[in-house]
Amino acid sequence: MTLILSLAVAILFASGAYLMLKHDLVRLIVGMVLIGNAANLFIMAAALRIGDAPVYPIEDETSDPLVQAMTLTAIVISFAVSALVLALAYRVYIAHASVDMRELSLAEEEQADIDDTLDGEPEPMLDVDDSSIGESSPVGAADAGEAKTR
Amino acid sequence: MIVLPLGILWFGAVLLAILDGTRTKNALLAIGLLASALLATIWLGFDIVANGPRSMVIGGWEQGVGITLSVDTLGIIFATLSLTVLLAALVFETANRVRARVFPALVLFMGVGLTGLFFTGDVFNFYVFFEIAMISAYVLASYGETPRQFRAAFLFIVVNLLGSMLFLISIAAIYHITGRLDMAGIAAQIPLVAESPVLLIATLIFVAFSTKLGLFPFHFWLAPVYTGTRPSVAAILSGALANIGSYGLLRFGADLLPRELADGAPVLIVLGTVSIIYGAVQSVSRHSPSEVLAYSAIGQVGYIMIALAIGGEVGFFAVILYAVINGLNKGLLFLTVGLRGWLVGASFVVGAFSVAGVPPAAGFLGKISIFWAAIEDDAWSIVFLVFLGSALSFLYMFQLYQRRFWIAREDEVESSRLPQVIVTALAIGLLIVGLWPEPLLDITDHAVSGLLDSPAVGVSP
Amino acid sequence: MSDRTVTTTVLTQVAARILLIPIFVVAIGIMIKGYVDIGDGFSAGVIASLGVALQVMVFGPEELTRLPVIQRAPKGTFLGLLIALLTAFVPAVRGQPLMTHWPPAGEAAIHFGTVEFITAVAFDVGVFLVVFGFGVGVTATLARAQERKSSMAGLFSRPGDAGEAGERS
Repeated sequence: MTLILSLAVAILFASGAYLMLKHDLVRLIVGMVLIGNAANLFIMAAALRIGDAPVYPIEDETSDPLVQAMTLTAIVISFAVSALVLALAYRVYIAHASVDMRELSLAEEEQADIDDTLDGEPEPMLDVDDSSIGESSPVGAADAGEAKTR
Repeated sequence: MIVLPLGILWFGAVLLAILDGTRTKNALLAIGLLASALLATIWLGFDIVANGPRSMVIGGWEQGVGITLSVDTLGIIFATLSLTVLLAALVFETANRVRARVFPALVLFMGVGLTGLFFTGDVFNFYVFFEIAMISAYVLASYGETPRQFRAAFLFIVVNLLGSMLFLISIAAIYHITGRLDMAGIAAQIPLVAESPVLLIATLIFVAFSTKLGLFPFHFWLAPVYTGTRPSVAAILSGALANIGSYGLLRFGADLLPRELADGAPVLIVLGTVSIIYGAVQSVSRHSPSEVLAYSAIGQVGYIMIALAIGGEVGFFAVILYAVINGLNKGLLFLTVGLRGWLVGASFVVGAFSVAGVPPAAGFLGKISIFWAAIEDDAWSIVFLVFLGSALSFLYMFQLYQRRFWIAREDEVESSRLPQVIVTALAIGLLIVGLWPEPLLDITDHAVSGLLDSPAVGVSP
Repeated sequence: MSDRTVTTTVLTQVAARILLIPIFVVAIGIMIKGYVDIGDGFSAGVIASLGVALQVMVFGPEELTRLPVIQRAPKGTFLGLLIALLTAFVPAVRGQPLMTHWPPAGEAAIHFGTVEFITAVAFDVGVFLVVFGFGVGVTATLARAQERKSSMAGLFSRPGDAGEAGERS
């Protein structure tokens, strides 16, 4: 069982790390989600005892409920983070019609040239409406807050 | 009493998340809340110095069952430092006009995360608060919304998420080998288990926190992020958020895993040395002010590592002192980046002297404490290294000053008065700490003695 | 999005409509039963927001504005967080540790059927509101992204780039 779990964690982590090296933002986000799940699986694997579900009425030997609580919290957090990152990627897409890191860095260089000529602090380039990130961000933080209180 | 700062920040953050933060009225409300949380923290600090650490088990459970909140002097020092930097950055941004409606709320959420993790006595709870702070930082990093900021935010998120996951995995591993999540319980159990698995976990924790700090092999994200974000956000990231790294290394290294810290000391010294040299050389060769400061931040982390590796009373003393002063320096210097004017120039000089370790600025204390630790340890190569590093940092700070404030340009517009005053206030604070260091030294001493003979360590289970 | 709406069959549409109310009932049941059985506010919130996500997938983002409950859900996040924080912090004002519930263990609580009203229930309701609001907010953001994208298709000259793949996945 330990071997299977550790293999699963390793494969998830490795595929996540591979995806994180990509230029495409969406692949990168999928990579993050995979690594998050690898961590969650690792927490489950770190249980002190593995048995039946720890739900009343208790009959046989039960699993360690603490790791399950921890995993739930970690899932909530990674859910919030991935939603946040997706919203950010969407924001990038609106502003630049691209989710490729290389194109973004090209745009950055152009912006840097503009900044150099102006020699001021960089101004927001596109004034898109605040709704998408303005809504998702406090909710993301709020959700992490919720995770804490559990 | 422990919950007062947390409560103020948390309710305030929720309240401000509903309100529109771009209005000055709401930003002022946020400033008021943050300031009162800071005062509450300081008040709590006086109480703790007088009466010893306080702790509370959430929900009235027994010790070791429920989540523990516990505050000692170390936590208070870092909480006060972080809230001060957050407050300065928020006031600065308000004076400059807030551009996003969530900015004040996010600063408060980050305050919740930071105070929470400095005040918690439970490793998993530490992770949760850590994520609250990190999520706010992820959003803050994209604040401004130019391509640069987006790219910086993505880089920041990817690298730090990886660091968080490593930390989460190491917490699960600690739980697996000790069966505890409360720090006191872990500290009691760790000496009983075999060393090799713990060493592996300690390495993971070290990597996670070094990534936050931007130590040499994990530094690659730092420069683009610090240069890409806006000055106030860069100040928050380097002055407040990076404290997680130094606090985490102290808490987990010195408090929970002292044996593994002693084993890893040679590695820390090597990495710290490389960091100092790399940071200094890169800073000397850079031109844009935020780049110089970002690479200088990598160098400064090296000093903290070396002090941590020396360990013992003098070593940890130097770590805390250096982390505090470094946080203030970085907060001040990053805020000066976008400004012009003679007041800013003077403040910059104070900050630069502080980084280089020239009296009377506060940085002198940090440098001298590291000298002292190295001499105590008879490590003359380190003494030489610190001297070299200081000389180089003086060089690059002077170059920066020369480039920015000596040459008067025609198109130069002096920034508005209010941000300048804020920066000056921070600089005066640094000078006061440098001229009248006794309170800081006393409280650091108190924190170190708390760290070395905390009841958690050394109690047989 | 509009293409997708056309491809959903009547069967899915009817099923989605019929399922909405039972999903909410199950969610509330899970939230309330959490103290004697499996479940809590978090899972209830996830189930309820999945119900909303199903409606949006089948009928399109207009669905988000049809029901006032769903429309106000994102705002409810803050209300929920406030409720949860209050139940957590009020004991601290009374000098007890954080999150101590009231009435304390072993004492009589007000019953409504088999449901016991203790402050922990209020906390869970808060958690439910947070999660439900968050779920609906995320669904709304992503649904708007879909809509925006189809309306912007002519605006940008590179429709075949990686962004397309991203939106599709």
